[in-house]
Amino acid sequence: MLQTIQLSKSFGGLPALRDVDIEIRPHEVVGLVGENGAGKSTLMKILAGVQQPTSGSLRRDGVPFVVHNPREAAALGIGMVFQEQSLLPNISVAENLFLGREAEFTRFGLMNWRRLHAAARRELQRVGLDIDPGRRTAELSFAARQMVELAKALSLEERVRGELVILLDEPTSVLERAEIERLFARVQDLRNRASFVFVSHRLDEVLALSDRVYVLKDGSVVATLPAAEANVTQLHRLMVGRALNAEYYMESDQAPYAPEVVLQARGLGVVGAYRDVNFELHRGEVLAIAGVIGSGREELVRSIFGFLPHTEGELRVNGLAVRLATPADAVAQGIGYVPRERRTEGLVTLLSVAQNITLANLDSVLHGVRIDYGQERTLAEDWVKRLHIRTAGVDMPCGSLSGGNQQKVVLAKWLTARSRILILDHPTRGLDVGAKEEVYRLVRALCRDGLSVVMTADTLEETIGLAHTILVMRDGNVTAVFDAVPGAKPVQLDLIEHMV
Amino acid sequence: MSVSSGPSPLALPGRERRALYRARLRAWAPLLVLIGLCLLIDIGNPRFLTIANLVRVATAAAIPLVLALGTTFVILLGSIDLSLEGVLAVGSVLTSLLAANDANSLSFGLAVVPVAVLAGALIGALNGALHVGFRIPSFMVTLGIWFAGVGLATVLLGGGTVRVLEPLVRDVALARVLDLPVLVWIALAVLLLAWVIQEYTPLGRYMYVIGGGEDIAALSGIPINRTKVAVFTLAGAFYGLGGVMAAAQLGVGNAMIGDGRLFPSVTAVVVGGTSLIGGEGGVLNSLVGVMIVTVLANGLVLLGVSPYLQQAIQGLMIIAAVAVSIDRVRSAIVK
Amino acid sequence: MRVPFAGFSAARLREFAPALVLAALVVLLAVSTPGFGTPETLLVVLADTATLFVLGVGLTFVILIGGIDLSIQAVASLSSVVVAMLVPRLGYAAFPAALGAGLLCGLFSGIAHVKLHVPSFIATLAASGVAGGIALLVSGARAVTIGEAGRAYLQWVAGSVLGIPAIILLGAMVLVAGMLVQRYTPFGRYGLAIGAGEAAALASGVRVDRHKMAALAVSGVLASLAGIFLAARMASGSPMLANQLMLPAVAAVLVGGTAITGGVGGVGRTLIGALIVSVVRIGMTFLGVNIFAQQILFGAVLIVAVALTIDRSKIPIVK
Repeated sequence: MLQTIQLSKSFGGLPALRDVDIEIRPHEVVGLVGENGAGKSTLMKILAGVQQPTSGSLRRDGVPFVVHNPREAAALGIGMVFQEQSLLPNISVAENLFLGREAEFTRFGLMNWRRLHAAARRELQRVGLDIDPGRRTAELSFAARQMVELAKALSLEERVRGELVILLDEPTSVLERAEIERLFARVQDLRNRASFVFVSHRLDEVLALSDRVYVLKDGSVVATLPAAEANVTQLHRLMVGRALNAEYYMESDQAPYAPEVVLQARGLGVVGAYRDVNFELHRGEVLAIAGVIGSGREELVRSIFGFLPHTEGELRVNGLAVRLATPADAVAQGIGYVPRERRTEGLVTLLSVAQNITLANLDSVLHGVRIDYGQERTLAEDWVKRLHIRTAGVDMPCGSLSGGNQQKVVLAKWLTARSRILILDHPTRGLDVGAKEEVYRLVRALCRDGLSVVMTADTLEETIGLAHTILVMRDGNVTAVFDAVPGAKPVQLDLIEHMV
Repeated sequence: MSVSSGPSPLALPGRERRALYRARLRAWAPLLVLIGLCLLIDIGNPRFLTIANLVRVATAAAIPLVLALGTTFVILLGSIDLSLEGVLAVGSVLTSLLAANDANSLSFGLAVVPVAVLAGALIGALNGALHVGFRIPSFMVTLGIWFAGVGLATVLLGGGTVRVLEPLVRDVALARVLDLPVLVWIALAVLLLAWVIQEYTPLGRYMYVIGGGEDIAALSGIPINRTKVAVFTLAGAFYGLGGVMAAAQLGVGNAMIGDGRLFPSVTAVVVGGTSLIGGEGGVLNSLVGVMIVTVLANGLVLLGVSPYLQQAIQGLMIIAAVAVSIDRVRSAIVK
Repeated sequence: MRVPFAGFSAARLREFAPALVLAALVVLLAVSTPGFGTPETLLVVLADTATLFVLGVGLTFVILIGGIDLSIQAVASLSSVVVAMLVPRLGYAAFPAALGAGLLCGLFSGIAHVKLHVPSFIATLAASGVAGGIALLVSGARAVTIGEAGRAYLQWVAGSVLGIPAIILLGAMVLVAGMLVQRYTPFGRYGLAIGAGEAAALASGVRVDRHKMAALAVSGVLASLAGIFLAARMASGSPMLANQLMLPAVAAVLVGGTAITGGVGGVGRTLIGALIVSVVRIGMTFLGVNIFAQQILFGAVLIVAVALTIDRSKIPIVK
């Protein structure tokens, strides 16, 4: 039995988990559901020893424990099957299964492959996988590798007394129907040896497999139900139900957009990521794209900025067909990008505020080939005033600014570059409430000035609140398009239906 | 419930399967290149595929093979060892000074061999310790040790050159067993040793693990630092042995004896198919790579092409080999 | 985390450390060695440093963006061979030819690195093989002496202007040009950005590929300029002429304070680094330390310099 008591986790002051109490009993499958950012992954990582809680405690069979890494967690019988796989592709299946345990198969300094392979075969039997353990892991399909990871987690049984707890983090997001059924059958077979925690955004699967379900929202547990008594709609409501504050997103400032089309996609696709995407972005419009991980929305956004050139269909900027092979091409077309990873992709933290603001358009301060530092300063100071950027001076390195102010510097950069189309990728991630508000205000102002925005937001709330139009994606396809006119906005339930 | 029956439902989807076949084909490319090269040269000059010439090729490949094996282990980690020439110089100088020579009255006979190898191992251990202890990239540490090693060799010699007079040591290169110089047998023995280390010891497996995914390795409790130091030490030992072999072959010890040996060694490893990113390739790959480089050199002479072009051709080969093998998806930012 | 503009702090101290070290060394040497502090000796030191410095400038631009150029030695030697062989026949035209050879080598590295995604140290190592091979071939693996007639054409490097060796003036011109480029041109600004945060530079529309190509090309041209200097001073060209210059050049850049992780440093710092290397070399020669033995010290200095200046937050996994 595994328990968390008042478990909390904050990243840099921003809470990801708040006083979470959950319990995993022997022989049971516990489902864990919640929106993007609700805290599911963080909770799993803490249980598996990959991260440490900020406060609260963990108990195993009533005894408090602390783990600093997955190895220590494994010693307590807790294993995790990761979403981003943790197998090494360049070595054999057997070596992966026993990674870190080579000493058990070594005598006089030499490894006994026969014994290793025999042991590996035994472990693979547990999950019904009948493959040659000497095969290179890279040669297996994703589903097979998933099974190997499961076998690896289960192999703990031989080394640890008591019940195992296996954590499954989004195991089915890339699997086919038949493979999913196979995985579920295995889990059922293995109940008598282990308890499972099953995290997924596919609510129907969670209900089918679990005994009990916990619903997380904004880092807290909001409900726990027996799966037999719950249905998907109920879960939806629990996951997202919250009063939508219309003024938080300044909906009264949401002006209708102009008829002019600035960006158009027809049959846009990238093999393996998304396909057949069509949309028209108008001047002054905010187009939001909603979808979970694996829906293709991240790749779509990267395509529009030239990180991932499209392989099918066409993209038109102001009517002209373009192929954006690199970000530089996109910038040349007047597209700007406010990235999710602010500190690595948004700003060069070692350079000053002024240097960052001119980076996308050095021409603005060039006389011939000479940079005019005076002009650069003035330009930067102007933006600092206009956007209320709090900094000790435009010569300060950007690394010293707070998240919200860094975001403003990034915006200033694109405004200096005279971008007409802005891509906002999780623009309020990691920002406190006040900073978020400022971002929303800025977005409204920019739209009024004739800029167009393509946005992927952290929460559905934000998506609905800010957008004029919402594109919903699932598994690489656009599944729905909503008009989000103030006063007649769709509700989150409407969106979720098409996302999962 | 077994899942092995029928067209395996766990098989790879079409696109991934094609990529897999391409990768398998790429794995055979170096050997095919070697065979092709041998055939081409023989067409140009039939004297190539004669016993006498092949023995010459084997002899020429002996020292480069030993050096390349050491380099292979380091590259499997994902690191690089530029100190080869320095360590080899120290090894050769120690050999020439401690065995019977024309500069002093010391005469330790074949006991110099373990001394030189140990010296190489110590320098290698220093490389590893600095790299791991101060978290300095391997190419920087080994760049410094390279020149320091050459300097050390010079200091030991007091300038100039020393001639090796010890017959036992010279025999390492000159004596023959079954018509092949002892040098070649030593190289083969080292090859066997390296192969056993790679395939049958945890150390060997850890090289692949660290090269394939150091972060995952760390989470799994693999002793990364210890392994890295051990690998650099091993490489140093191989380079030290190379120094003994070089001193035996040339009959002298001097600080310049290692000059120009680093580049063919790295070329051989890369052309043989071991990836610079780490985790792919190995000892047998480097054997093929060394043969390609040596056969090429021999072939250039037989075909009447200027041997000066050797390094230029090696340069082009190494670029081709790396360009073909680099996994574009994995390394988005190349430094 | 390095904070370059903070007040009095450890980071600030590190910024000025090289200059302080240089000052200390000069004083030490002037006090302990008679004849060192004289203007004549100083000019000799500066003249000696010029070649090393020019080599270092090209290398600085490459290291600033987070790469390395291991071909400078071979390119400089090749350039000296080109000069030695062409000056008797082409006169002044030999110099653009030498610079062109350097440019081609730089572009070779650039194409391999940028278009074929080959890591810079392999690309430049390969270029050094190609350059070295060509130098060997063209010169027949021998030094090529420049006769009386040829030496006349080299006066602009080997001669003096108002008592100051021309080579120092040329070095100063490279210094000024380098500093101006670094501080006032897009090339300089982009280089800094790419080195300090390549992902952000890319995501800001900087044409990173083009810049890397240019940096390697510039390094090639400057290495060939250094080769011309060497040819003038030795009155000959040889495929081994620049041997033993690689380590001091790298040391000069790193000791001067340019970090191999990129984004910090510059041409001015390389000047200080080059002077430190020169002064140390002269000092050691006075002490009777063999030139090869000096390498032991430089090897150690290199490792220490990197250990101190490297920004480990930029490379989570050190390979």
